[in-house]
Amino acid sequence: MTTWELFTNGFSVLMDPYTFMMVVFAIVVGTIFGALPGVSATMAVALGLPFTYSMQPIPAIVFLVAVYCSSITGGSITAILFKIPGVPSSAPTTFDGYPMAQRGEAGKALGIALGSSAIGGLVSALAMLTLSPQLTQAALSFSPSDLFAVTFMGLSILTCLDSKNILRTLISGLLGLLLACVGQDPMYAVQRLTFGSGELIAGLEMIPVLIGIFAVSEVLKQTKKRDKLTSDESNASVNTKMPSFREWWGIKWLLARCSVIGTIIGILPGAGATIASFLCYSTETKLSKHPEKFGTGIIDGVAASETANNAATGGAMVPLLSLGIPGGNAAAVMMSALVLKGVQLGPLLLVNQPQYLSATFASMVVTNILMVIVAIGIAKVFAQILAVPYSYLGPIIIMLAIIGSYATNMSIADVKIMAIAGVIGLVISACHFNSAALILGLVLGVICEGNFSRAYTISRANLVAMFSRPVAGTLMAVSIVLLLWPIVSGLFKRNKD
Amino acid sequence: MFELICNVLLWLGLLYAYFFNVLEAPIPDRTARNPYTLKPDVWPKAIIILLLICIAINIINIIRKNRNNPDFSLDALMSIRARLCIGIALVVGASFVLEPLGYMVTCVLVLFFYGLLLGQTHVFRLAIFSVLVTLLLYVVFSVLLSVNLPRGTIPELRNFSLYVEGIVASVKSAIM
Repeated sequence: MTTWELFTNGFSVLMDPYTFMMVVFAIVVGTIFGALPGVSATMAVALGLPFTYSMQPIPAIVFLVAVYCSSITGGSITAILFKIPGVPSSAPTTFDGYPMAQRGEAGKALGIALGSSAIGGLVSALAMLTLSPQLTQAALSFSPSDLFAVTFMGLSILTCLDSKNILRTLISGLLGLLLACVGQDPMYAVQRLTFGSGELIAGLEMIPVLIGIFAVSEVLKQTKKRDKLTSDESNASVNTKMPSFREWWGIKWLLARCSVIGTIIGILPGAGATIASFLCYSTETKLSKHPEKFGTGIIDGVAASETANNAATGGAMVPLLSLGIPGGNAAAVMMSALVLKGVQLGPLLLVNQPQYLSATFASMVVTNILMVIVAIGIAKVFAQILAVPYSYLGPIIIMLAIIGSYATNMSIADVKIMAIAGVIGLVISACHFNSAALILGLVLGVICEGNFSRAYTISRANLVAMFSRPVAGTLMAVSIVLLLWPIVSGLFKRNKD
Repeated sequence: MFELICNVLLWLGLLYAYFFNVLEAPIPDRTARNPYTLKPDVWPKAIIILLLICIAINIINIIRKNRNNPDFSLDALMSIRARLCIGIALVVGASFVLEPLGYMVTCVLVLFFYGLLLGQTHVFRLAIFSVLVTLLLYVVFSVLLSVNLPRGTIPELRNFSLYVEGIVASVKSAIM
């Protein structure tokens, strides 16, 4: 299927009134979830999962993609109005958005945030449509050893992400890999690490674990704080104002740079919208002619952060759809939902089920345009929504988590797994481990081990032969460099000091 | 201190798993004899060994960093607030009582008690909120999304769930 056919097919999918209504509903739900503090984009997608259980696969992917994109944008509303980033990736938006709001320019800050979010999202959607087929073509010729090397590279990138906590990130990733071993082994169906529990024979269901780690642990953390979220009277009425064409033209290169950087960061497994927005904010500060103005309330700061975090959404879908590797936590949740629907993510997706790529693209384009209109409306009423105390919101999140876990397989065991995962998420946070690394290990663990076992057998237990293929060899070399780089550079730094 | 205890417990747990729980069924003979296959216990054992090494280093790092820290004592454990423990007990408890009590009762109880835990002082308002949200979630998931929510195994509570479901069904048919 050509890129043009993918393009047109995608929009024909969205012509279906039911699917289109689902997109609109998802945008409203996603923007509200994203704007609610304590509800991350991953949590928004996880909480949106139960809505997809009765849907066909295409409306399901369209729905989840729309929730994902709009939740990232929704996070900017509270970041600007109340200095509370709705999602972690909106944290840099507060640096300039909130000072603008304090100066009485909240409407303009919201306008620039929504506009640049749409631009970043649209650029990354186009990148996804053009890059995914190329990546798929290459991936189709991959052997098990190549696929192992690809997944191993995804894991090795983690050490670069949190250079101050390499050891803890490694431990988290390894714990994720170990949790993926629970149940039957992928080659011979021998039971492992089930501790005699019959409920664990089939392995850990991904969705309850994700809901537990991301949604439940967040509510548990709030239990300690006992904070009530109340609205700020000064921002009770907000009218979003779009900046002038001249102002947009003035930041054209910033938008282009942040769109590209955000998309690339999104493609990297393990990296995500948060890293993209922080990286772009700091890059733009360094490149600006007036770096001292950043943080005082200028449109450049808001645009950099919001363009990048939305660009990362499209980037995260590229490895998910073409390689079956999630580009981030939210993509990992989507992956679990789609696998449950029988979607074969990975290189064969574009060959056997190209409609999913088209639908994802169309959903991203429509979402990024419609969410501007929806978010303007939501920003207006959000001052009132935020007046809802967390003592009402928290219990609802817990119940949504329970229902979401149960509805996956109509299994009480999954609810217990979710509850335990929630506690584990809390411990991970208290011990300064990295939950993103754990999830990536869990998601990639089965693929990693399966491909390693197959490659081992094909190469007749010869590890040198296994990695002598050009792709596998190169990727493994890159992975080892990525793994060792933070350690080596740390040693160099220490010697210099 | 909490971090250190968690790490030590994790290390001991992994050591136990390495010796007793990696394989819980014998490896098939054909697999065991084949020199070119990766045995099912190799991968998890390799991960456990790496974890044991990394966690041991982490434990040493934690002790070294906190050697002169006066707050690094067992007393610091008391700072873990009671509310958090109750929160954990509520979530874990809900997962265990969902089957016998069913969705309706569990949902009302979780919404009410977690609301209290999070500082809600208007008890009557919270009770009304719990009942209304339970019904709203039931309508969204069971009626609109066809998710079969558990009715409970205790006969009285099961009958109560069926009674409420009957009311919702009659309202639905009246609207349709």
